[in-house]
Amino acid sequence: MTDPTIPAPGDLVPPATGTAPDAARPVTSAWTGAAPRLAGRGLVHRFGTTTALAGVDVDLADGESLAVMGPSGSGKSTLLHVLAGIIVPSGGTVTLRGEPVQALSEKKRSLLRRTRYGFVFQFGQLLSELSALENVALPAMLTGASRSDAQAAAGQWLAALGLAGAEGRRPGELSGGQAQRVAVARALITRPEVVFADEPTGALDQQTGHDVMKVLVDSTRAVGSSLVVVTHDADVAAWCDRRIDMRDGLVVPPGSTTGEGVGPRPGEKPGRALPDDLGSARVSDVFGGAR
Amino acid sequence: MSISPVLALAPRLQRAGGRDSRTTTVLAVTAFTVTTALTLSVVAALLGFVDRAENPVTQFDRDMGGFYVTLAVTATILLVVPLLTLGGAAARLGVARRDARLAALRLIGATPGEVVGLTLLETALQGFVGAVLGTGLYGLLLGVWTQIPFQGRPFTVGDLWVGVPVVLLAWLVVPVLAAVSGAVTLRRVVVSPLGVARRETKPGLTAVRVVVALAAVAAFMFVSMNGQMFAAILVTMLLGMLAVAFLAMNAIGPWVLGVMGRVRLRRARTPAQLLAARRLLDDPKAMWRIVGGLGLASFVAGCLTAVPALVSLAGDSDPDAVMQMSDIRTGAILTLAITFLLSAVSAGIAQAAAVLDRRRELSLARLAGVPDDLFDQVRRREVLAPLLFTSVGSALASFVMFFPLFGQIILSAPSGLLLLVGSLAVGIALVLLATEASRPLLRRTLAETVVRAD
Repeated sequence: MTDPTIPAPGDLVPPATGTAPDAARPVTSAWTGAAPRLAGRGLVHRFGTTTALAGVDVDLADGESLAVMGPSGSGKSTLLHVLAGIIVPSGGTVTLRGEPVQALSEKKRSLLRRTRYGFVFQFGQLLSELSALENVALPAMLTGASRSDAQAAAGQWLAALGLAGAEGRRPGELSGGQAQRVAVARALITRPEVVFADEPTGALDQQTGHDVMKVLVDSTRAVGSSLVVVTHDADVAAWCDRRIDMRDGLVVPPGSTTGEGVGPRPGEKPGRALPDDLGSARVSDVFGGAR
Repeated sequence: MSISPVLALAPRLQRAGGRDSRTTTVLAVTAFTVTTALTLSVVAALLGFVDRAENPVTQFDRDMGGFYVTLAVTATILLVVPLLTLGGAAARLGVARRDARLAALRLIGATPGEVVGLTLLETALQGFVGAVLGTGLYGLLLGVWTQIPFQGRPFTVGDLWVGVPVVLLAWLVVPVLAAVSGAVTLRRVVVSPLGVARRETKPGLTAVRVVVALAAVAAFMFVSMNGQMFAAILVTMLLGMLAVAFLAMNAIGPWVLGVMGRVRLRRARTPAQLLAARRLLDDPKAMWRIVGGLGLASFVAGCLTAVPALVSLAGDSDPDAVMQMSDIRTGAILTLAITFLLSAVSAGIAQAAAVLDRRRELSLARLAGVPDDLFDQVRRREVLAPLLFTSVGSALASFVMFFPLFGQIILSAPSGLLLLVGSLAVGIALVLLATEASRPLLRRTLAETVVRAD
């Protein structure tokens, strides 16, 4: 069933007065050279007198995963929230498939997040009164799927992510790693164009965090979504195709915030073997491959 | 005397809670204020009628003083449970926030005694402030109460002034009861801090039934000591019946709501229906705290269905009988009004607490694009059906219970039924309004999801 209120890409066209300041600049992905799926240009954001973003350019290509690293206060979470349309930046533009996002009303941005984005937070995003199955099904129901269809798909997602048998469990009855895998399934059930993950392993031990990142990266790639991961952990960032480092609201040279430089740089192909045993194939078999 | 380091943290923890903590405190203090003001008013009326019976001015006072005391005791008993419900709601308010904070303290090594001590301090302080403010509100309400004539003349402020000892007693009792209630609510933290940190819920106890039983015994003793033996027997029977009915309702209510939740869960088709059903099923006791007050009020309304009929039976031949019946009607309407008001305030407080308790979930759901409207739909759905079911069901139950006694009379003067339907409609509207009052709090909670500066 199609929800007639879901904005078609054409709905994202801004009003005539909202012309992007840097519209003349060509917007292409540094990684692939193709037009980016999501792009931020000259992003500035202030909280009162604090400047959280001081002019950031960022691209995200189709199917690309990007790690945003930096110490506390560097502006990385603010960047995620600006890119995701949660907050409107004080300056600059964010475009999704070339269409400015920040000119949309709060309601339309909410609709955008619900229908075209997926989210994984550090912890606590599952609704405590719903079962794992219902938590995963909810976003699909919110976009117009029937409960039975949504729950059937949710069951398949949980099984694909190794949670068969946990469908009826409540968030309080899941381990931290299980809860995050449920969150990944919930973020992906609508096959979003971009998944935003804010410290997705921040509340987990190293091994469990490793497992969750593997599930997140593999399944995101399997459905063809792009991925933005905010983290302060270089091991987590290493899972992504590309990484940017931030300090004081600016993107800084690689490794300058942590003293090392793992991960492929802009213009490079991924420099490490991508995880393959969770089964991109398995997930895409179930859900029909990349969008 | 040295103070425990953890207890010394109390004021700092209070301040550290920020805006939510202040909201919680304001709501709790408001609830204690209303509870204290109305309790003092009810006690004042009771003492006023006792005084008139003991020091009669007119022949009517001499003849009917005891009867009026009996009615006042009955009204007091009818109001005990709603008053306790509101006090309990205040003490329970925002408990999840305190749960999390205190569980963290337990995890870093605070002793159970220190955790309980913090709770006692915080809740008792809120209770004390509420008691003091409530005394002021009671003073203001005296202006209203002294406009209402009983036995042919209104009470004076002097008649309805409870006296300094009773006020001091209230200032002592309200904080103590608040602290005890808070400590009982937080026992889970003391037993298992991890349980709270992981948001597992365990069934709680219903202490109300014990208090009601004690109140019934106390009322019996009070009436017996006043020597109105015949009235005492009648009152005791009436109170016994009411106490049994109240206890039964409190025991059965949450269970029935749980069954209702299961049925609604099976039938849920939309996200709002699913969430409303799950919330009801998740914690039927919490929903009972919202709608149960109105259930009890509706029960009282059902009991009072016979009053207009009794009034009309008196005819207009005997002026004393007319006055007596008119007073009964006034008393009944006053009792009902206060009961409905109390249940509406309880419902509003409980709903506000539910918003604060779910703060993080709500915020993150909104960030992920869940529309704000959904939360409004869920609130209305989760409250409305249980509310209708509980209020209409309770009114019917009491109507049926009293039908053998008053059936013929009620049918002969159906204005009692009109009173019942009218008061139910007003009561339901009041509770719905009170729960809707949490909407700005929800909006503000959602609006505060604006991201921290990393």
